[in-house]
Amino acid sequence: MKHSLVLLSLLSVTAFAYGTAIPVQKKEVTPTVKKVYQAPMPQADTKQNITVICPTGTCSKPMNTQNMSYSNVLKTEKEDVLQKDTNMVIGVIGQGVAPMNTSSPAQAYALAKRAAVADSYRLIAEKIKGVRIEGDDLIKNMMVKRSTVRTSVKAMVRNANIVETTFKDGLCEVEMEIVISHSDFIR
Amino acid sequence: MRSRNGNCYFSLRLYTLIFFHSLALSASEYLISYHYTVKDAILFNETLQISRAMQKCSGTLQKSFILDARKEDTLEQIIQNDYINFLQNIHKIGLDVSHTQVSTNIRNTSITSLTLHTTCFKVDFNDNFAKITPLK
Repeated sequence: MKHSLVLLSLLSVTAFAYGTAIPVQKKEVTPTVKKVYQAPMPQADTKQNITVICPTGTCSKPMNTQNMSYSNVLKTEKEDVLQKDTNMVIGVIGQGVAPMNTSSPAQAYALAKRAAVADSYRLIAEKIKGVRIEGDDLIKNMMVKRSTVRTSVKAMVRNANIVETTFKDGLCEVEMEIVISHSDFIR
Repeated sequence: MRSRNGNCYFSLRLYTLIFFHSLALSASEYLISYHYTVKDAILFNETLQISRAMQKCSGTLQKSFILDARKEDTLEQIIQNDYINFLQNIHKIGLDVSHTQVSTNIRNTSITSLTLHTTCFKVDFNDNFAKITPLK
C-alpha cells in the first residue's frame, strides 16, 4: 500500500511536470547558408547584365542561371572579315576643333571641318591598316622618371565619302564612310 | 593628180591640223601638291602648290572633275573661287595619311598630316568651266 502511494505520487508529480513544463521553442532547421551575390539591377531592359555567382556550389538556382554570368564573360564579339567577292563599309566619326583666333564663324567652321576630316582619315587608316605602338620607360633609382607611348599609322586613303557634318560649340564632327573590297588589297 | 573639186583634201587636212592644234593649246598640264597638318585636333598648316609642268606628263587619265571658270581666269583663280569643291575632289583622288601620337607622362600630343604628293593634272580651259583630270 505504501509503495502504491509513493508510485501514485510520483506519477502525479511527473504528470504535473509535463503539464506545466515551459514549451521549448522549436528551432527551425535552416538550410546551409547560400551566398548568392546579385549585381544591382539598373534597368529592366538590361537583364543580360545580371550576374549570379554561387561560390559554394550549393545554390538552389538552376544550373543554367548560375552559369549565365560565365557565359556572358566568355562571349566575345566576332570580328568582321572581308570576304572575297564582298564589299565592306567602314564608318568613322572624326572630330576637329576650331582655333581660338578665327576672324569669323565661317572660318572657324572651315578650319574645324578640315581638322575633323583629317581625324576621320586617321581613324579609317587605323581601322584598316592598324597602329604601330612603341613604348619607353625610363627608370632611375627604382623610380619611373619618364613613361612614353608612341602610336603611329601611315596609309593612303582614297574614295572616302563624307556622310554628315555637324558643328556645335566650336567642335566639328564629320561622319565618314569608305567602301572597301577584297580587290583593293590584291595587286 | 588633182581632183575636180580643187584642193579639197588639202583644206580638210589644214582644218584638222588647226582643230587639233587649238585643242592642244587650250589643254595644259599642271603639277599640284597639297599638304596640311593638324596638331591636337586644330588645323596647324595648309599648303597648296600649283605649277605649270615644264615637261610633258606621262600616265593614264583618271576620273576628271569640273570647276566653274571664266574665260580669262588662270588655274589659280579658278581653284581660289571654288576651293571647297576642289578640295573635295582632291580628297577623292587619295591622300597619304601620317599620324603620330605621343603620350609622355600621361600628356598626349598628336600630329596628323594629309598629303597629296605632286601630281600632274591635265586642265582643259573652256569659256564657262575648266575640266581637270589627274594623271596617274
